[in-house]
Amino acid sequence: MIDKINLEQLPQEDLFGPGNVGCKGCAAAIAGRQAMKVLRERTMITIPASCMATLGGNNRRTTWKIPFYHTLFECAPAVSSGIRAALEVQGIKNVNVVSWGGDAGSADIGFQALSGAAERNEDIFHVCYDNEMYMNTGGQTGSQTPKTALTSNAFLGKPTNKKNMLAIMEVHGIGYVASASIAFPADLMAKLKKAASRKGFSYIHILAPCFRGWGIPSDQTVEFARRAVYCGLWELYEVEDGIRKRTVEPQLIPVKDYIFPQKRFSKISAEEINRLQQQVDDYYGKVGK
Amino acid sequence: MSKVLMTGSEAAALGAKLSKIEVLSYYPITPAFPAMERLSKYIEDGELNCKFIRAESDHSALAAVLGASLAGARSYTVTNSQGLLYMTEVAYHVAGLRQSVVMGVANRALSAPHSRFPEHGDAVSQGANGWIQIFSENNQDILDNTIQAFRIAEELRTPVMVNYEGYIQSHTQEEVEAPSAEKVAAFLPLKRMPVMDINNPQGVNTVTSPDFYMDYKFRQNEALEKALTVIPQVSEDYKKEFGRDSRGLLEAYRMEDVEHAIVAMGSIVSTARLLVDNLRSQGKKIGLVKLRVWRPFPGKELYENLKNVKYVTVLDKNIVFGVGGALATDIKAAFYGRTEMVINSCIIGLGGAKSGVAEIKQAVDSTEDCSESKNSSVWIGL
Amino acid sequence: MAKELPIVPTATPGSLAEISAASSWREYRPEIQEPGKVNPKVLFFCPEGALFHEEGIIAVDLSVCKGCGICAVESDGIVMVPEYTGVLGIFGVKEGSK
Ligand SMILES: Cc1ncc(C[n+]2csc(CCOP(=O)(O)OP(=O)(O)O)c2C)c(N)n1
Ligand code: SF4
Repeated sequence: MIDKINLEQLPQEDLFGPGNVGCKGCAAAIAGRQAMKVLRERTMITIPASCMATLGGNNRRTTWKIPFYHTLFECAPAVSSGIRAALEVQGIKNVNVVSWGGDAGSADIGFQALSGAAERNEDIFHVCYDNEMYMNTGGQTGSQTPKTALTSNAFLGKPTNKKNMLAIMEVHGIGYVASASIAFPADLMAKLKKAASRKGFSYIHILAPCFRGWGIPSDQTVEFARRAVYCGLWELYEVEDGIRKRTVEPQLIPVKDYIFPQKRFSKISAEEINRLQQQVDDYYGKVGK
Repeated sequence: MSKVLMTGSEAAALGAKLSKIEVLSYYPITPAFPAMERLSKYIEDGELNCKFIRAESDHSALAAVLGASLAGARSYTVTNSQGLLYMTEVAYHVAGLRQSVVMGVANRALSAPHSRFPEHGDAVSQGANGWIQIFSENNQDILDNTIQAFRIAEELRTPVMVNYEGYIQSHTQEEVEAPSAEKVAAFLPLKRMPVMDINNPQGVNTVTSPDFYMDYKFRQNEALEKALTVIPQVSEDYKKEFGRDSRGLLEAYRMEDVEHAIVAMGSIVSTARLLVDNLRSQGKKIGLVKLRVWRPFPGKELYENLKNVKYVTVLDKNIVFGVGGALATDIKAAFYGRTEMVINSCIIGLGGAKSGVAEIKQAVDSTEDCSESKNSSVWIGL
Repeated sequence: MAKELPIVPTATPGSLAEISAASSWREYRPEIQEPGKVNPKVLFFCPEGALFHEEGIIAVDLSVCKGCGICAVESDGIVMVPEYTGVLGIFGVKEGSK
């Protein structure tokens, strides 16, 4: 079982925030805050073009209290590789070097640099905060958008499946891969802590709903991140040195309780819901614990 | 100092090694790759204490170098043509973030159609990106320019591209005099300017509103303008230390009492020297201006050297489609309203097309033939 | 004359509260009605870091709270109350809200 983080013992001071210029109820910001609770001061972060890159600062003021660089869209892990190299030549030790991208900046346009850094096993880690759309440009479809979801450029729903980034990163042969959810902060923080403590490349994929893109009320951001896990569609697990472990057991609530209330799934068919439910049933039936 | 036979690639790599680069990243491309391989060998042999990031693309290579520079390391990369185009987006970031990165460029034609041969099209494509651009006539220049580039970049906090031509220089041996490592170290003291600093956290490249953006751009341009005085100073200092004169922004060759001047940059300057010597011996009043620095554009200095000539033959190893040669266009803009001379833009040697003495002679003749229109453009060697 | 700016476009750490003018976004604001019942986990769910605890009591910093309502959903003891309780205008639009 993953190390439990004692929530009450974590530092009160925010290194991302307080305050940001994002939308209210932004899960990217929630993820950032949770991460910084465990990564702490000796962390440098690079964030490619995305909501998260823009909501942390404005002109001469930034809400980040650690070195932060808003990079170009394609290359945050490459920039972080360079930062690590520069720290090493200068003998600067004990610094977490992180690249932190949205789903486009990780799985799509950012994938080349991510894959490269993973293959080189750079001593950095990458976090993908996944809102399943391109929100910073208004909510278009990307590879992480689930099948049938409506987006600002898919009025009939996305016809293809969500690309499985965790599996792709796992087969890079890196030491640590984990999924996480903003609704499970102890789990998320433990995984970040682990990634930070390890040498070599790690990848963490956080499901971070965007209430605007998903068509839910802003106060439901955390609730839907939770339902995604509880219905079984977003499995929380980690693969450490090849050993796979589920870190949160889902209650397996009906998939439709997660899907139906979201406006983006308003055109989903009954067959598709059944298919998803069947998939979940099969998967958890087979894989077990 | 002893002279050694070496290729331009080796001169570039040696220049970077003597400059004690700390972080290197590149992505293989022809004809820049021999410089890359040489640098990797220096590192693996323990002759150069430098971290190498084996990037998975040109874009990431420059991004890694940028990250290293932001975190305080002296950083270098080499590329050309498609690689440089692919880096373009990052090149703008490097310049906008005022990082003292140095990049060698083994100039090569741009696809399509596919060509692997020398030309300045790749460098010219970057003419607005905020980098200082220095051109090398020979392999000695490549070495000297690379070392000076770090001084210039670090003083102005502006990146520098050192151009040398593919094959003509990258794969051709010439005698090169290499300065001692100690002397170069004294010429290039390392002063770190980390922006990504764990002890002084800052946000880099936050969203910037119109009033701030424009001021940043003004400052960036101001640094380029300042380069027009800094580059000659560095060249002077280099001459004092190492005895070789890089001639600052440009070199006037046999420009006393001339009617006709050739203006060129890069390897074709050497060929043009031969033609000038030849024609001079026949009594023709012709000279040559070797442009060493193309960005910033030394329009004033060029004018000072050319103001009394009747004909200017500009050798442009590039084409800006729908406009003409980049160098001639810049000269015409800089001379606007001040001159009656004929400025002939000669597009020459694209994609490795022949650009020997005969072709340059043809260019020179075309200039004197076209005195009707004072603003002509011809393609040589079609 | 160009403004005096750092050579490298950089920003210094500080509060973005006044830039985001977060409080002007709010239609509802969280009110901690039963401090004893508040689940400390909400500290990790607030996107703004608007919640803090002092001597075991959780409070809201209204200069950064945008009124998303997550805390009220995620914890007992917190309810969202309307920012403006006065008379609504003829079209039902908030009038002269704070
Ligand atoms: C090279 C390039 N192409 C396109 C863009 C425009 N762009 C900026 S952010 C963005 C989408 C980001 O999506 P994602 O990574 O999912 O993060 P999110 O905004 O959803 O948090 C796009 C398309 C860009 N900045 N750079
Ligand atoms: S309403 Fe939203 S922003 Fe305000 S304190 Fe609660 S969670 Fe934070």
